[in-house]
Amino acid sequence: MTSQASVQRGSDHEVVLEVKGLKVSFHTYLGEVKALDGVDFEVKRGEVLGLVGESGCGKTVTALAIGGLLSDNAKVEAGQILLEGKDLLKETKDELRQTRLREVSFVFQDPMTFINPVLSVGSQIAEILESDKGFQAELVEYRIAELARAESKAGLTPAEVEEKRSLEGLKDKKLSKRSLRRLAKLRTLDYMRTVRLPDPERVYNMYPFELSGGMRQRVMIAMALVRRPKVLLADEITTALDVTVQAQVLRLLADLRGKIDASVVLITHDLGVVSEICDRVVVMYAGNVVEIADVEELFANPMHPYTQGLLASIPRPDVFTKEIKSISGSVPNLISPPSGCRFHPRCPKRFERCPLVKPPLIEVEPGHRVACLLYGG
Amino acid sequence: MESKAGAEEAPKSGAMADLRYSLHLMSRNKLVLAGSVLAAGTILVALLAHVIVPASATVDDRAIRICWNNSLINWHIPSINVCPRPLPLGTDAYGRNLLLMIILAVPLDLSIALEIVASAVVIGLVFGSIAGYAGGIVDEAILRVTDIFFAVPGILLAIVLMTVLGRTIPNLTLAVLITWWPLYVRLIRSQVLSEKERPYVEALRAMGAGRFRILFRHVVPNSIYPLIVQSTLDIGSVILTVSTLVFLGFAPSNIATGQTPELGSLTSQGSQYIFSAPWLIIFPGLTILIISLGFNLLGDGLRDVFDPRLRR
Amino acid sequence: MKLYEYVLRRLALLVFVLLALAALIFYITRGLLPPAYALTQYVTPRMTSAERLILAQNLGVATSSCPSYAAFATSAKGCIVPLWGQFFGWLKTVLSGNWGYTVLPGYVAGTETTWNVFWVRFPYTAELAIGGTILTIAIAIPLGIVSATHANKAPDHASRVVAISGYSIPQFWFGYILQVVFVLYVALNGRGLLPVGGPLPTSCAICFANPGSVVTRTGFPVIDAILSGNFPYFWDSIVGLILPTVTLALTTIGALTRILRSSMVDALHQDYILLARSKGLRDRVVVYRHALRNALLPAITIAGLILAFLLGGVVVIEYVFDFPGVGQAAVLASTSFDLNFLELYVLVTAVIIVLTNLVVDVLYAKLDPRIRY
Repeated sequence: MTSQASVQRGSDHEVVLEVKGLKVSFHTYLGEVKALDGVDFEVKRGEVLGLVGESGCGKTVTALAIGGLLSDNAKVEAGQILLEGKDLLKETKDELRQTRLREVSFVFQDPMTFINPVLSVGSQIAEILESDKGFQAELVEYRIAELARAESKAGLTPAEVEEKRSLEGLKDKKLSKRSLRRLAKLRTLDYMRTVRLPDPERVYNMYPFELSGGMRQRVMIAMALVRRPKVLLADEITTALDVTVQAQVLRLLADLRGKIDASVVLITHDLGVVSEICDRVVVMYAGNVVEIADVEELFANPMHPYTQGLLASIPRPDVFTKEIKSISGSVPNLISPPSGCRFHPRCPKRFERCPLVKPPLIEVEPGHRVACLLYGG
Repeated sequence: MESKAGAEEAPKSGAMADLRYSLHLMSRNKLVLAGSVLAAGTILVALLAHVIVPASATVDDRAIRICWNNSLINWHIPSINVCPRPLPLGTDAYGRNLLLMIILAVPLDLSIALEIVASAVVIGLVFGSIAGYAGGIVDEAILRVTDIFFAVPGILLAIVLMTVLGRTIPNLTLAVLITWWPLYVRLIRSQVLSEKERPYVEALRAMGAGRFRILFRHVVPNSIYPLIVQSTLDIGSVILTVSTLVFLGFAPSNIATGQTPELGSLTSQGSQYIFSAPWLIIFPGLTILIISLGFNLLGDGLRDVFDPRLRR
Repeated sequence: MKLYEYVLRRLALLVFVLLALAALIFYITRGLLPPAYALTQYVTPRMTSAERLILAQNLGVATSSCPSYAAFATSAKGCIVPLWGQFFGWLKTVLSGNWGYTVLPGYVAGTETTWNVFWVRFPYTAELAIGGTILTIAIAIPLGIVSATHANKAPDHASRVVAISGYSIPQFWFGYILQVVFVLYVALNGRGLLPVGGPLPTSCAICFANPGSVVTRTGFPVIDAILSGNFPYFWDSIVGLILPTVTLALTTIGALTRILRSSMVDALHQDYILLARSKGLRDRVVVYRHALRNALLPAITIAGLILAFLLGGVVVIEYVFDFPGVGQAAVLASTSFDLNFLELYVLVTAVIIVLTNLVVDVLYAKLDPRIRY
């Protein structure tokens, strides 16, 4: 049923990444943590998909599983992760590394701890381009195009003319290490400008501790974009930042949409962020996807009781309420999760079948899927 | 008052859970188990040595000096003396049963090492917590004094001290202790400094708990794990240092000559018969290795077990 | 603060530490027990008058008032200058390079200065210590990295056992065992593999039977051999270092391996490693560029301690391997009560160690951009 639905949608928008029935568990001292229990969703080309849920619901685990970056004690029990049809779970370690290098890139939560403290930020972007021969042709082409643009605008200096000629003459020959470095740096500086880092040439040689939180987050975004990935997984990228800086980073992301061809998966617990820039939303609860819908649809017509509770808990300035509503209870222990629907102990609308049957994700309205027994299954 | 008592309990119950988890980790770590067995065996041998070994064992018997009679090992030495009766490790230069002499040596080495480590821990606790907790000029002064000792190889300082003070066992203990205590001052100081910044200390202070009460009832007990690890490791290292000094002759003459058995001096005695009677050097040294290895394995395993990084 | 200001401040501190140490050593050797005690203990009627004179000078005794053994024995108290006066006088004398005459066995009294004896022997010790340092770094760093990247797997367990055994082995014992093994090798095969005993052995399979001689210029056998262009001598002096150096480095190899493993495991669990891996970098780049850079920082801070350990370890190594360095002489100096030699040894070692610590601090600041002196 679900697969039929996805084929149908595939006709209007091409699917880049599809996660099917993903189950992941962690082995710990206390027991087996069933972190993901059948996660299904897809990412369409060029869209911004919000992945929301409380902390501990498996958003980050999902993202790390896509990149093959789960820790050693994690085990993928079942499922498929299809990137343009190829199953990432079947890839070897090196193929996965290539995938991370070229196709799927990450931006993480805390820019303070995620950028290496003892290396200059520029070199940490440029090293990506220097690390693989695959980027060489791209770098050369890019530089030639840049020089050509400059030529048509204001003409070139003799040195630049010479550079262009030698680059054009290079064709498939190997670039020397020095010129590879130089081209990688030029490309890096360009991307640092794209993410609006001030004074890129100076910032290139600076260390993470010398930058502000917003600048560090921009550096990480530049790292993610410089290899032109197909999918960008952004994990709580605004959480560690001040509110004003958050807004700047979100605006940057919105502006970049036109310039990059990557689909963005925005992982967040902040529904405000989702409403601002996402096209579609996947709501997760305790390792399950509970609802998928377009963003307007979801906010206007939340179907799953969990989503309803989540939306009701956002304080709204336009509606006067005496107290902010919250969902009673807390996130369940995933070592021994509730049977049937994992949300049933907290659900205000539960009935006798909820603890018995695990609800499937069914399409209730076109493009709007929900996993709740109230809607069938 | 109720809430205060509750707050003071909190870190303790956490420590209990920690301890249970530690025991769980320990039981799974084979090297820690091996280390515990060796260390416990050493302590047992040391406690029972004078019970096992009859006083008559130390009496010289020149007639059977340096002989071997154990068919398990053939030394391929043509001129070897064969003992009249089977002896597991042969006899030493005084004609005494080498195995019994090694057993007799264990309590001597172990007790010196324990004395040194225990004293170093006490000194470290006092000066380290004062330095860490007081800070400022007191801290600076204590640190500079430890700097002086870190600038000299310990064994060299011990040699100088024993040259002047004379070669006795109390002086040996003192000489090694003098080179060892600064390590503990630094260790306790850094522990106290990092504990001091923890939120619970701030909470205790806010509730009006006294400085010394906080220090000795909360900060010090919470710094105890690294101290256990370091002192376990150091028992191994101190036994090595002590036996090295005795080996070099820094001991009263009855010990240095091997008359009263000590592991370093037994080895030293054996070094004279290195080709004609290799067992005289092999087994005492091997005993030092096994004892030291036991405490080092245990300490190293404990470090992993107590490592907060594994508890994330 | 500028780098040179930092270095100057550290140098001031360093001078303070050295002065304090000098005072401590002086107090131990001259103040802890009255020289009279030393005199009654060590000045014997068998000593020649020259020997007595030197010993008396070395002990800070005013010789003019105590010209003979009879004078020492009857009124030793009258021969003693007050301690503070002694210290400053001593400091002035020794800083001018005058460390008195040696009373070490093997030297005719009053012919050889302590200073000369020390520096003639020092190069042998330095070669051992340098060899030990090189060996420690060359083995401990790869072993620590392999342990950390295979944490809690077979290579880690193996390296842990090797490392812990390394610092549990009594070096004096292991040195003899090595010699026995290599001598037995000679006995069984008719020729040697590695030389035992002394820096320049006379016969073994890979040594040259007659390495010839070299002109002593630096005092370092290895360097002098190179300067003289005497390849056989050079080779033999290197080969002669192998067994002592291996024995010497066991402890520090074990210690550094464990420290590096722990800091490397720590580094590999940091968030920046996750980011580096998410960038699709090769494991090699992640481990060496991203993790090792950070993991080396805590490891290099113990460089001074490692050097101290090596410089202390030579005492027993030189004793066991019959190596004519300062360590061997320290044991002799203790028995012959040559306190000047011990003082010189302690202070030279301390200077080396504190200077190393200074270099390490500067290096640390260079490697970690977060440090601003």
